[in-house]
Amino acid sequence: MPETFKTAPPRNGKARPERGGETSFREEICLPFLLKAQNEDGGWGYRLGQRSAVEPTSWTLLELASLSDSSAFEQAAGGAINWLLAGQLPDGSWAAYPDQKEGCWTTALAGLALHAHGRAQDAVAKGFEWLCDAWPGEGALWRRLQQRLFARSNAVRQNPSLRGWSWTPGTSSWVEPTAYTLILLHHLYPNELPRRVEKRRRLAEAMLYDRMCPGGGWNSGNPLDYGVAGVPLVVPTVWALLALQDHPARRENQASLEWLARACETMQGPASLGLAHICLAAYSRPAGSLEPTLRGLYAKNEFLGSVPVAAWAAMALGPECRWLSWQRRGTGQP
Amino acid sequence: MSVSNSQLLPSFKRPDAQVAIRRAEGYQANLSNLIYETLNEFGVSVRGQVVLLKANFVGPDPRGVVNTHPAVVGAARECFLRLGAKEVIVADGPALERDTEGILEMMRLREFIGPLAGSFVDLNIGDVRCVPLRTRASSLRELYLPEAVLRADFIVSMPKLKTHHWAGVTLSLKNMFGIVPGSCYGWPKNILHWAGITRAVLDITSTVRPDFAIVDGILGMEGNGPIQGVPKPCGVLVMGNDPVAVDATCARIMGLVPERIEHLAQASYLLGHLRDEKIRQIGESVASVRTPFEVLPSFRRLRAGGRHRGHSNCLA
Repeated sequence: MPETFKTAPPRNGKARPERGGETSFREEICLPFLLKAQNEDGGWGYRLGQRSAVEPTSWTLLELASLSDSSAFEQAAGGAINWLLAGQLPDGSWAAYPDQKEGCWTTALAGLALHAHGRAQDAVAKGFEWLCDAWPGEGALWRRLQQRLFARSNAVRQNPSLRGWSWTPGTSSWVEPTAYTLILLHHLYPNELPRRVEKRRRLAEAMLYDRMCPGGGWNSGNPLDYGVAGVPLVVPTVWALLALQDHPARRENQASLEWLARACETMQGPASLGLAHICLAAYSRPAGSLEPTLRGLYAKNEFLGSVPVAAWAAMALGPECRWLSWQRRGTGQP
Repeated sequence: MSVSNSQLLPSFKRPDAQVAIRRAEGYQANLSNLIYETLNEFGVSVRGQVVLLKANFVGPDPRGVVNTHPAVVGAARECFLRLGAKEVIVADGPALERDTEGILEMMRLREFIGPLAGSFVDLNIGDVRCVPLRTRASSLRELYLPEAVLRADFIVSMPKLKTHHWAGVTLSLKNMFGIVPGSCYGWPKNILHWAGITRAVLDITSTVRPDFAIVDGILGMEGNGPIQGVPKPCGVLVMGNDPVAVDATCARIMGLVPERIEHLAQASYLLGHLRDEKIRQIGESVASVRTPFEVLPSFRRLRAGGRHRGHSNCLA
C-alpha cells in the first residue's frame, strides 16, 4: 500500500473549480512515484533510475512547493534545491544536464523552481540576468539581412523583429522558452520593471501574439506554413496562455482558451491533459473531471515512466499552483 | 551500431547496394511476411542484439498520413524478434510535440507493439551522452545523443515516404533528426536548422548511420510535407541496408531526381550509393511503382526536366 501524504490547503482560500475530491490519484500514485524517483544527489532524472537533469528536477520542485506537513517532502525539496544550486554555471545560467557547459532554456525553469520555494534569490536573480542578456539569434544584423534578401516570402508569416527567448543560445525565439521566462519575469518584477526588462517583456508578449495560429492556440511557433494555417498544439498553447495571463480579456486569449477547451475532449496524453487542466483552472474555466481519465491513462502506459508528466499530473490534481499566479499589471487583481 | 555499416567509405570503395521494393496495397496486408522475407534476403543477423526501430512519429495524425504507420512498426518489431533480437525498442523524439504519449495513443501504437512502457523510448527525454560528430559538414562538432540510441547494436530508420518543405524529401536519412534530444535542444531542435538542415543531416547520419531502412510508402504524403501535405497512396515498402540507396530509390519512385536532393547528393560521397547503376533493385522495379509526387514550387527543380544548378561537396 503506497504511503499517502497531506497536501497544503488551497492558496488564499481559493480552490480550483470542479476539483472536489480529486486528490487520491495524486496522493496514491503521483507523489509516491516522485519521491521514489529522486536520486541520491537530490535531483530527478527524466525517468526513474536516470541521472538528474534540470527540467525534471524543476517541475518536481514546483509541485513540491504546494505541499506541506511532510518532513519527507521538505527533505526532498531541500536536496533538490542544493542540487540545482550546485549546478548553476558561473554565468548564472543552467544547462539541461550537469555535465554540460552552456546554459539554455532550463535556466527559466530552475529560476522558477527556486523562486517558488523562496530560496536562493541571489541565484535566481543571476539566472534572470543571464536570460535578459540572452537575445535570440534572429535579431543579429546578418540574420535580418539574410532573411530580407533570401527568405521565401510565403514560407512563414512572422515578424522577426519581435523576439522572445530561444531553446539554446543563438537560435530563434520559440513559444515555450519565451513563456517560461515571462512567467519568471512576472514573479521577479511584480511592480515596476527596469527599462530593459520592460523592453524584453513587451517584445516577448508581442512575439507570442504574433506567433498565435489563426483561430487561436499555438504550436511551437509557426502560425503559417506555406500559406496554410499552422496547427495548434496543446503544450505550447498552455504555456503561452499562462504567460499571457495579464491579458485575460484579449480576443487572442479567449479564442485560444476556446480551442484548448475543445481540444480537451479528444486528448489522449496525460501531459496534455494535466497541463490543459492547470491552464483552464488558472483562467477559472471549468475543465471537467480529470482524475478518472488520468487513472485510465496511467493504467495503460504508466505515463511511460516520465517524471515531468507525473509532476504535471500531480499539479493538475493538487491545490492551485501559486507559481502560476501573480498580481496582474495595471489591474491590482491576482 | 554494427561497425562495418557505420564506416564512412567513399563510394568507389563501397560495394554495390541492394534495395528491395515490395508492393503492399494497404496496412491490412501481411506486412510481417514481406519484411521478414526481405530481411532474410539481406542476410540481416541480429541474434542476441538490441535493435532500435527509429520510427517517424511527428505529431497528432488523424489522417494517418504524417507518421510511420503503426502496422509497419509492429510488423518490423515482430520480424526482428523472430530473427532472435534480444530486445527490439521502438523509439522517436518528436520534433514539435512534447506529449509523445498522446501521439502514440492517438495512432493506437499499443495495439501493434503491446504495452508501451516496456517497448517504446521517447528519445527527447532521458540520459544523453556527448558524441563528437564524425564529419564536419556543419559547425556543430558534437551533439548530445540519447544513450538508448548509442547503446543499440542495430538501428533501423523507419520513415514515411514524404516530401519536406525544407529538405525536399524526408526519408531514412532526414528521419535521423529525431534522435537529437529535445531535452537538450528544444522542440523543435532548432540548433539543427541553424546549422543547416542538409549539413546537420550529414553530420548526424555519418555519426549514427542506420544499419537498415524500412520506408513506409503504402500511404505517402506529397506537397507541403512533412505535416501539412496531401495523402498520396503509393502502395510500397522500400527496404535496404544502404540508407542513401534506399532514399535514392524512394526519390525515383516519387518522380524526383535524387542527385538534385542536396542532402542525398552530399551523402553519396561517404555514406552510400546514389547512382542508379550502383543500386541493384530486388522485388518490384522502380518503373513499375513510380508515382510522381507533387512538390512545392521551390522544389520543382528536383523533378526530371527541372532546372538545376548542382551542389558543392560539403563532406570533402
